[in-house]
Amino acid sequence: MRAKRADRIATVVFWIIGLVSISILLFITGVILWNGLGKAIQPSFIFGRPKGFKAGGGIWPMIVSSFYITGLALFVIMPISILSAIYLAEYAKDGRFTRFVKFCVDSLASMPSIVFGLFGMTVFVILFGWGYSLIAGSLTVALLNLPTVMRSAEESLRSVPVTYREASLSLGASRWKTIRKVVLPSATPGILTGTMLTVGRILGESAALVYTAGLVSRHVPDSLFDSAAPLAGYIWYVQTEAGAPDYRAIVDGSAALLLVMVLVINFGARRIGNYYQKRTLAGEKRV
Amino acid sequence: MTRLKRLKGIGILTGVLVLLLAIGLLAAGCGESDSKNGTTSEEGKSSGVSGKVTCSGSTTVLPIAEEAASMFMDENPDAEVEVQGGGSSTGISQVKEGVVDIGNASRDLKDEEDDGSIVDHKIALDIICIAVNPGVGVDNLTRDQVKGIFTGAITNWSEVGGADGQITVVIRDAASGTREIFDEKALEISDDNPVELTGSAMETNSNGIMRETVASTPNSIGYISFGYLDDTIKAVNYEGVTPTIETAKDGSYPLSRYLHMFTNGEPEGAVKGFIEFVMSDEFQNDVVGEDYIPITKL
Amino acid sequence: MKRIKRAINNFQRKEVGIKIILVTSASLSILAVFMIIAYIFRESLPAIRTVGFKGLFSFNWKPEPANPPAGSYGMLVPIIGTISATFWAILFGAPLAIGTAVYIDQMAPMAIRSVINRGIEILAGIPSVIIGWFGLTMLVPALRNVTATNGFGIMAAGVVLAVMSLPTITSISVDALRALPPELEEASLAMGATRWQTVSRALLPAARRGVLIAVILGIGRAVGETMAVQMVVGNANQVAWPWELFKPTSTLTSRIISDIGESTGVFRSVVYTEGLVLLIFAMVLILAIRMVSRERKR
Repeated sequence: MRAKRADRIATVVFWIIGLVSISILLFITGVILWNGLGKAIQPSFIFGRPKGFKAGGGIWPMIVSSFYITGLALFVIMPISILSAIYLAEYAKDGRFTRFVKFCVDSLASMPSIVFGLFGMTVFVILFGWGYSLIAGSLTVALLNLPTVMRSAEESLRSVPVTYREASLSLGASRWKTIRKVVLPSATPGILTGTMLTVGRILGESAALVYTAGLVSRHVPDSLFDSAAPLAGYIWYVQTEAGAPDYRAIVDGSAALLLVMVLVINFGARRIGNYYQKRTLAGEKRV
Repeated sequence: MTRLKRLKGIGILTGVLVLLLAIGLLAAGCGESDSKNGTTSEEGKSSGVSGKVTCSGSTTVLPIAEEAASMFMDENPDAEVEVQGGGSSTGISQVKEGVVDIGNASRDLKDEEDDGSIVDHKIALDIICIAVNPGVGVDNLTRDQVKGIFTGAITNWSEVGGADGQITVVIRDAASGTREIFDEKALEISDDNPVELTGSAMETNSNGIMRETVASTPNSIGYISFGYLDDTIKAVNYEGVTPTIETAKDGSYPLSRYLHMFTNGEPEGAVKGFIEFVMSDEFQNDVVGEDYIPITKL
Repeated sequence: MKRIKRAINNFQRKEVGIKIILVTSASLSILAVFMIIAYIFRESLPAIRTVGFKGLFSFNWKPEPANPPAGSYGMLVPIIGTISATFWAILFGAPLAIGTAVYIDQMAPMAIRSVINRGIEILAGIPSVIIGWFGLTMLVPALRNVTATNGFGIMAAGVVLAVMSLPTITSISVDALRALPPELEEASLAMGATRWQTVSRALLPAARRGVLIAVILGIGRAVGETMAVQMVVGNANQVAWPWELFKPTSTLTSRIISDIGESTGVFRSVVYTEGLVLLIFAMVLILAIRMVSRERKR
């Protein structure tokens, strides 16, 4: 009897905990959207240029910079992380080198993003002399996100059934051909999901970028060496500079817009993952 | 066995390759930094000014510099002026290092910063106002009261004639010229008189966020450039004197300082054009004159 | 025969070439880790040399941006601030997150189970600046109204960090619970144990290492979080121990982001030293995770 009552109490408590957690996150999302969405959908705000200390500035250069940085970073991350993942999942034996690589990937993943920012500033901005630039920012976030993409790619590769490989190898295909034609295609949905989640993370990144890519861009960057302030970093900058009379509206609007972008991408990532998962499951059943 | 050996060879080879790549990158980077220094071009004087001007430094000078930049770029479509904050000390050290063309500062050059090559362009006289949250019922503070509040000897508004309320002190970052002048002139801190500020003072990185913090935090006090004053905060009288352009000009309000643009050597090309524009009667009267005391009127 | 041999040779050569490329890519992570550690360390050296360990690990913080070597740069205030804020983040966040994980895995009705899980995963992507802005505009004023303080400080930072580490801890704990063999749960329930008894006596103990790893990763997230903390922690230069909830203070990350843009010389080097301390924190956590997961293997 006592056990039953304890069980009932525990059930209620866990229900409350679960609902509290989800409501905290929903509440924050709601507040940000409620405060900023009105501003965020004004074309003059989305497509305008920042106006410094005057009211009515827009965020177009920052939006474009965010996507430039994301694209460039992915361009660097994808080949390296997929090749590394192939090595770790398909070739590497459990030796000292492999374990060391994994340790380094783990360490890289655990470093705070501000440390990447410091590194990017020393090496790309100052040592290489690139200044606050698109390329410095992109390389910095590329380093920051390399381990997560690598890990998710490795996991996707490992989840491809061994039978696929055996079938291909027994037909006389080389190891590399097996990976390219059989293993990689089957792992693509997983890799894609991981990549989409990374896009969301890069769009939301600020600490590693404000002192590598720049704090504010007055025009859309037109070269790799132009400063390219991303939206997330700009939100922090506007908040800390608080110069324009309507700076609160600018932050509210930018925050809402950024949140929508990130949530849509994360949601899309999960959908893609689900969709392919269902399809492969259905396919396997048919076999 | 041979296969295994070959694999080991591959490992070593790869290591060497990676190392070479790293060294190559480093070398390439070093070359790049040398070639990127000359940012100003001196051509095309007849058809307006062209070239790139970069400035950084004081957030007090920032609104003036930004306004000047956008007006200057309207007049000279081939010119590009980039303005960033960072604080007076940052501006001065960056102009010395050649990172920027102009270092903005809201304080004078210090002896240890003067290497002989820095050229000073005074652009305006600014006033530092002591600002409180509008809810604070105090309108005047004496020198000793200000000292007491910022050093933590006075912690409640009731001690200086206000209603009961724990004082929140807001200060600026260490690189701020405004803080430098305030510490020196209002708190009389010097090397011979090292006074500790109250530890609970919250640091803010710009005039703007200082205004925002004081405006939104009840019972708070801070200091701010005259140009940033608006109705979200309240400027109190200091020693019975209201901070205005007139009282600063005649010297009865003591917390004033020059705003500077520093260049490394005499300015040339676009940088020269930009500074001349800032000093022009038109810009000084129409823009600087709104919130500061134009240098042309002194 | 010769042709076949050549074909096999070509074939092998190609495989070897591919292997070189693969090993090179994998080595890049090693290179990255060492470069980051090397450069952060190199940039910290001037501070370690001139300020010394005694100076760095003191409470005395008085930077001199205009003449860096004359300042004092004790990092203990931000180090303790980081620890205090993280302490509360985990104290608030971990129970909530682990409870949520149990709820998702055990209690939630099938229909909404995956919705909530996905919801948490999607919301894990809320950028930190946005949570910081929420903290600054909603949480700090709320705390201000409840207490007699200005609202900034360890409490605000702790809550913000708890929210940020909540999704991390939740989703890894869910994974840990899911990874348990289903027989464990079935056997416990079959023996007549209630769901709560199953969770508390069978499932959570069995998954405790995975949950511990989740909490450690949550700590890592809290220690390294920058923008959100800088906005709400108050950025004051005074020690705030975990029990001093409403004292504005600084964390390592908030100091770094405030100072990096406006420091030179030794002062700048101290900023890198703060980064080095963060790196050491991160390494300790990584080793802790290694120890926990190695134990599991045995």
